[in-house]
Amino acid sequence: MNTAEKLEKTKMENTIPTKDRIIAWPRMGRIDIPLKALLVSLGAKVVIPPPNSNEALEIGVRNSIEGICLPYKLNLANYIMALEKGANTLMMFQAPGSCRLGNYTKMAQKTLKSMGYKFDMVIFDMYKSKMKQTLQAFWHVTHCINPWRYYKGFSLGFNKFFAIDTAERLLFYTRPRELHKGDAEKCYEKWLKITDETNSVWKAKKLKKQIINDFKKIPIDKNKKVPIIYLIGEFFVLLDPYTNQNIEKELGEMGVEVQRQIMFGDWLEHVLKPSIFYHKESHRERSVRYAEKYMKRAIGGECIETVGDTVYAARNGVDGIIHISPFSCMPEIVAQNILPKVSKEEDIPVMSLVLDEQTGKAGYITRIEAFIDLVKRKKLRKINN
Amino acid sequence: MDKKFTKIGIPRAISYYNNYPFYYGFFTSLGIEIILSDKTTTKTINEGTKYVVSDTCLPIKVFTGHVINLINKGCEAIFIPSIQSTGYKINNCSKIRGLPEIIRNVIDKPFTMIEPTLDKTENINFKDFCTQTANALGITDKQEIKKAINNGWKVYNSFIEMTKSGVSYTEALENAINGKFIKKTVDIVKPLSVAIMAHGYNLFDDRISLNLIKKLEKMDVKVYTSVNVSREDSLKAIDNIGEVQYWANELELTGTAAYYLLNEKVDGIIALSAFGCGPDSLMVDEIAYHCKEAGMPLIHLTIDEHTGEAGFITRLEAFTDMLLRKKRSILTKKSEKTKEYIQNKNIVEIKKEKILTSSIK
Repeated sequence: MNTAEKLEKTKMENTIPTKDRIIAWPRMGRIDIPLKALLVSLGAKVVIPPPNSNEALEIGVRNSIEGICLPYKLNLANYIMALEKGANTLMMFQAPGSCRLGNYTKMAQKTLKSMGYKFDMVIFDMYKSKMKQTLQAFWHVTHCINPWRYYKGFSLGFNKFFAIDTAERLLFYTRPRELHKGDAEKCYEKWLKITDETNSVWKAKKLKKQIINDFKKIPIDKNKKVPIIYLIGEFFVLLDPYTNQNIEKELGEMGVEVQRQIMFGDWLEHVLKPSIFYHKESHRERSVRYAEKYMKRAIGGECIETVGDTVYAARNGVDGIIHISPFSCMPEIVAQNILPKVSKEEDIPVMSLVLDEQTGKAGYITRIEAFIDLVKRKKLRKINN
Repeated sequence: MDKKFTKIGIPRAISYYNNYPFYYGFFTSLGIEIILSDKTTTKTINEGTKYVVSDTCLPIKVFTGHVINLINKGCEAIFIPSIQSTGYKINNCSKIRGLPEIIRNVIDKPFTMIEPTLDKTENINFKDFCTQTANALGITDKQEIKKAINNGWKVYNSFIEMTKSGVSYTEALENAINGKFIKKTVDIVKPLSVAIMAHGYNLFDDRISLNLIKKLEKMDVKVYTSVNVSREDSLKAIDNIGEVQYWANELELTGTAAYYLLNEKVDGIIALSAFGCGPDSLMVDEIAYHCKEAGMPLIHLTIDEHTGEAGFITRLEAFTDMLLRKKRSILTKKSEKTKEYIQNKNIVEIKKEKILTSSIK
């Protein structure tokens, strides 16, 4: 047996009896709400690590190597904090062949073992036979054989994902237009809490409609001319509010409508749903189509999505692009090289922001403010002409 | 069908360092003249830095500089391959995969890019890679392409055989291109020997590596590099050390280091990598972990366009000094162990007796 086969076996470690398992997974935005619903309905106990913060980042930086990218450092900190809180089973997906992400789990496993923690790591691939591997991983940690529970879990999980996505999209729309500052934010927080507490499939299915209706009640200025900014870039940085310094809120308060093309629910649906049932054009396919003039091949990570979205935005009347990526992210560096040309040829302002653990908030905000001024002036000129 | 191009420019960077013998054999057999860019200088780096964003790593900046150099030389067709993966799910770094994409978008000058793709994950194998290249140059005759591929392998294999026997990189390259074959029969013994784990495009570029190999040889150190290890050996070494190949160029780094770590031929390992290199950050860390367990000294040298030569030399000297001292202490400890204390005290007395008896006689 060679090492590759041996490692394939360590993907689903099995040293802890199923009924003693306490499961944890790394944080990324609000992914904890749907995943918790799924695992709890399969009968598992879960621990949710505290939200990403400076303290978490410090733990991550202390225990990881110098050259690794920012998302790994936060993931590792989440693992450590969860293990300290009593977790003994860690779950994570991996995507070999894209970028350094494929190595995350292997490294974390080694680092945590050398730190003296005792745990089981359960890894599932998001590349080939995704649905089968995902189900296998969830079966492995829960040993649940009741199909009704699987139905309930996945249906709850998916509906919660869609509910959160809907709430986020409405929040982005309402925040720059609201008459009383803070209304949208309050509404969003309220619905996050309700989504978290919902535990019947019937109620979860109605969440989306309820959220839409509730956001409609917030008084807004419908005639306000609001510039639209697309937020694009690396997956983790986009979805994690701590890492991107809550850029969506900052932009919303400056009176800008943010739109994000990468939504976790959409992505998950595209990845997990078998292609026979998935009929609409996925985000990736659309990006490949739009990016054709600038890129002829996908090169891993979210590079082609970044370029494709920029072209799509330019042709659909979006006013500006903010591109964010962690420091030394390989696919996004390629994207950064391509974006200036796209910006010039498609006539759309683009700003690239690189984030790492030393990013200062003041300088960051100044750059965003200057960019927004530019975008607003450009929009005004367009309207006046 | 008349040929579109009779000349092709090959930048002296990235895949040039590993594959040039093959490219040479392939293109000359097709009857295409090769124009090489000039050797890397500080000017090349500065030229490249002008075009790409600052976060890009040094090798890509150098590559861009070489492409500019070729354009200035009047090259119409420039060979910029995109080597995506060399095995199923064994991918290259994104920046190497996207080389044609970067060049297409940053350089706004008229030239034709020959951009074949090698992607074994998507079943685009090496033969397709060569066919794409030939087609882009206006050659479609299958027999001719087949002959060219064979000729390419011929030059490449003789190059590999030479380097495996211990011939230095530049010497082997020169001889392989001229159709000669030399072999080293005597292995020169030097007080110290080290293995260098680095990408070919960093190590064999005299400007990027700041002449690392020559500097070490001046300090009386024997240098082993990735070209001295065969593909099979390095694959086996990766497996034996308990790692799995993840990157396409892992054989040059983890493979080489693991091979020399396991066969104990060297006194230390030098890791040379460009600042901000994604794959290197992981591979060097893996090897550092195994070196720590085996007690093998390792130094990680990071380079970028601002690296000063003086500091570089100081670090190298300190490392070799440390290796020498370590080797000396190991040798003295070994010589101490050879003394054996005799347990039986009676021997002396018996001998005395013997002497006595003999003297009486």
